[in-house]
Amino acid sequence: MSETTLPPQTIERWAWVGLAWLLTIPITAYRSPLTGQTPPELEQERREFARWLETAPLSPYAILALQPVGRGISIGYEPSDIPLAIGTRGMAQEANGVVTLDLGTSRLVLPHGRAVPLERYQLVASGAPGRTVIAAYGVARRHQPPTYFPYAATLSLGVTLEPPERRGRFRILGLDGVETEATEAGFVRVVLGGTAARLRVYRIGAPEDEEAGLLIFARDGTSGHGSYPAGRFVELVPEGGQRFRLDFNRARNPFCAYSSAYPCPAPWPGNVLPARVEAGEQYPEAPGATGR
Amino acid sequence: MTRSRRVTLPALLVGLAFLPAGPHDPVGAWRAALDLASGELRFSLVIEGPISHLTGRLCNGGSCQALSAVRVEGDSLVLELGEYAASLAAVQRGDSLVGRYHNVGRKGPRTIPFRASRGRWAVSAGPPGLLGRWDAWFESGFEQTPRVLEFRNGPRGLEGTVISNSGDYGLFWGGMRGDSFAIAHFDGSFVYLLTGRVAGDTLRGIFHAGLRSQTAFVATRSTGRPHLTPPTAVTRADTSDRFRFAFPDLDGRPVSSEDPQFLGKVVLLDIFGTWCPTCHDAAPYLVRLYRDYHRRGLEIVGVAFEVTGDSASDAPLVRRYRDKFGIPFPLLLGGVSEADVVSALLPQLDGFTAFPTTIFLGRDGRVRRVHAGFYGPATGAQQEALVREFRRAVERLLEEN
Repeated sequence: MSETTLPPQTIERWAWVGLAWLLTIPITAYRSPLTGQTPPELEQERREFARWLETAPLSPYAILALQPVGRGISIGYEPSDIPLAIGTRGMAQEANGVVTLDLGTSRLVLPHGRAVPLERYQLVASGAPGRTVIAAYGVARRHQPPTYFPYAATLSLGVTLEPPERRGRFRILGLDGVETEATEAGFVRVVLGGTAARLRVYRIGAPEDEEAGLLIFARDGTSGHGSYPAGRFVELVPEGGQRFRLDFNRARNPFCAYSSAYPCPAPWPGNVLPARVEAGEQYPEAPGATGR
Repeated sequence: MTRSRRVTLPALLVGLAFLPAGPHDPVGAWRAALDLASGELRFSLVIEGPISHLTGRLCNGGSCQALSAVRVEGDSLVLELGEYAASLAAVQRGDSLVGRYHNVGRKGPRTIPFRASRGRWAVSAGPPGLLGRWDAWFESGFEQTPRVLEFRNGPRGLEGTVISNSGDYGLFWGGMRGDSFAIAHFDGSFVYLLTGRVAGDTLRGIFHAGLRSQTAFVATRSTGRPHLTPPTAVTRADTSDRFRFAFPDLDGRPVSSEDPQFLGKVVLLDIFGTWCPTCHDAAPYLVRLYRDYHRRGLEIVGVAFEVTGDSASDAPLVRRYRDKFGIPFPLLLGGVSEADVVSALLPQLDGFTAFPTTIFLGRDGRVRRVHAGFYGPATGAQQEALVREFRRAVERLLEEN
């Protein structure tokens, strides 16, 4: 036995310390909903979203331009409506719902919702026929990952969806800055900071669309003072029947917060919360701004 | 108790906690589930070895598809699903897997909690009060859209499908729990779960798409009267003139409706895509039709609308499709699989929405019938009725002068 060998008492002491430390892990995890520690599943959602922003080919960090096709737009070397560092230029037009880019020597069809490569860029047409927009994507720019307010367990609310008031389909600007059809799903009532508010909920997407959902776009006391000035989106999570979870910790910025290429949605009528909803995604303010 | 044993106990516990989690041997059958918001989507996984060369299948009841890759990465098992850029990644701890389903979304990642344990789901049959055909209304706000629901008992228990105006959503599989049913279709791209409860002649429930999208539905027993738009009324066509088409074949040679091969013949123009599961369901029946009626004057021509619209990448996919089904009739390359593109390239069609769509041309080259969609095997008796209807329609056209 060498002189450096630890005596049995030391091994025992460290083993007990290790065991005690291990026992604190479940205790810490159990405490999290009560003490404001972000639940692990939300941490994971945020990590996955940050990774999607960095790596998805059509991430808002990779967008270069988004333009309505209207009567036709030019795409290619400057000057163009969508300027790209390539050696060609063409006109994109929409006829009978089909969007084509005529590059002179070749003609590209731009199907709605699908990326079409143009040299090292990706072009995507989206939106309703007759009101199509074309987005151009390049390599994702480096960005800081989104930042969030500390987790607030009190801002995860169980709500009941009340019936809608208006029939029909409405054109609204979605999270991704593209005009989409929505139906009014109803209203939810919340009481925050001693003030009651009634929030309008829209259903966006068809029943078979896995990214369809019940959305609220709302402004609150933090809008422009810690969170994005135009407001934030929150999705209602179904809990059975007309019961939903409205978790402001999952409030997200519209894509216009990540790139000025996107148009910003206008606040939905009536969706203003006077209280400061200090939960969910933040928006870094310009240097010198106050109120943070 | 000796000193040495007192030392060993906590040391052993600490040591156990830091044991590496893998790699384990994942080979075998797994009861798997995706945890959707207020709903469990059940499916099965079968992983086959050796561990150096793992393969696997994902099954909805008896309907299985091969996983495109199975591999162990650190302590995780990663299963790649088809060509959808989707995967299941899970940490294996003994006889359980816990992880996430992951797919690239348009507005963020599409991730859903995933778990599995060793074994097979118990077979759970549906009661007579549920089996059969139901006329459903999917409800969203003030809007109602029609669907048909089919339930039957198969060798692996309760199965069925959901049918819309443009076709069925493939085979759903599941079972009963008390008076509630749950059947699901998960193929790596589509995440669909239909849950509900039987109350006499009414079904009430929820159609789940993905993690959070839910649509309530109410259904009543089918009366036999049409509930959906008939497949022959979805897409219209100009019948005042010969129906014209012209597309390159897989080797780039032009083929057109005016070629001698088609003149004076009954022609079925099949608009399909190799990406479209319903088109795969229809292909064997078209091959049989061709074999049975070609000598009497039937020609079939398939026009493929593919994901890229680029013939260099589409032609190999279509060749593989041709070889898979042993298709003896010509297959042509139409372009990108976009309804608007089909409409622009076949301007005599009006209201094209569904892949596949089959256009029946008489011997004079004019459209006699346009059939949108195809009922797959998941629709049971409806598929048999449709196949009989196609044969009768072809026979009638062959008898015309």
